[in-house]
Amino acid sequence: MYAQLFTFGAAFLGSAVESVEALTIVLAVGLTRGWRWSLYGTVVALVALAVLVVLFGQVIVARVPESALKLVIGTLIVLFGIRWLHKAVLRSAGVVALHDEEKSYEDTISELKGAARQDWVAFIICLKGVFLEGLEVVFIVIAVGGTSKGLPTAVAGGLLAMVVVAAVGVVVRKPLAQVPENTLKYAVGILLTSLGTFWAVEGMGASWPLDFVSIFGLAALYFGASRLAVMTIRRPVLA
Amino acid sequence: MKFLRAAASEVIGLFVGDWTQTIVSIVILAVGWFAIGRMRQTGLGFIVAFALAAQLVVATRLEARRRA
Repeated sequence: MYAQLFTFGAAFLGSAVESVEALTIVLAVGLTRGWRWSLYGTVVALVALAVLVVLFGQVIVARVPESALKLVIGTLIVLFGIRWLHKAVLRSAGVVALHDEEKSYEDTISELKGAARQDWVAFIICLKGVFLEGLEVVFIVIAVGGTSKGLPTAVAGGLLAMVVVAAVGVVVRKPLAQVPENTLKYAVGILLTSLGTFWAVEGMGASWPLDFVSIFGLAALYFGASRLAVMTIRRPVLA
Repeated sequence: MKFLRAAASEVIGLFVGDWTQTIVSIVILAVGWFAIGRMRQTGLGFIVAFALAAQLVVATRLEARRRA
């Protein structure tokens, strides 16, 4: 049950962050160049991402032995999670600027200025933006869902976040600058690094005390380490 | 072509932000695998996790100093 909960949480939060960033691009293009080709580009990107999930998800679940799957995918999840956590720590400490959706929106609009064949430009920018942002979600869904034998749960988490963000975007019709993206990335970084460590160590042949409950200990450890990093970085930066 | 290049660098970028940090993480996991393979003790995973957490603290501090 804990495994399914963590799987759903990681997929939902990871997808929410990336969906907010993709929404900013689609909104900027749609509102300045029209919706038809922007939505075509978005739909093609979503179909391509769905194909990736189905293909790689099937291969991972059906073909790869469990211990190898846990070791390899666990290692990849650790690397992925630590990268997000690293960035979130630097942002929390004020070393790196927070991701600004308003600025991304303005950048996309200025990218569109002067484009002669606007329909194709709108199509390509939405396709590229949604596909590249979605790659991270695809990895989270396949890796977390495949390893925990909960691919449908991970897919449900990812899809639900996407639908929620899209619905809010349709209602407010402006970038979701109020969403605490760094906090979400921070949480996903901790979740993924904990899950990745848990599975990688199981794939190495070791067992955890209290089995899946150890994940909470791992999450507490990574949260403590990241707070320590933020505190020790802040001092010299502000001095 | 440009799109494929962007997609390839995005895929590598999923796992690698800083090559040194990535290599250190892989070395920690490899040493952990070797040790667990020999000892098979429950709870050894927490030592691996401590090492990964410690490298996170060190790597973020180093990057903050570099950017200061």
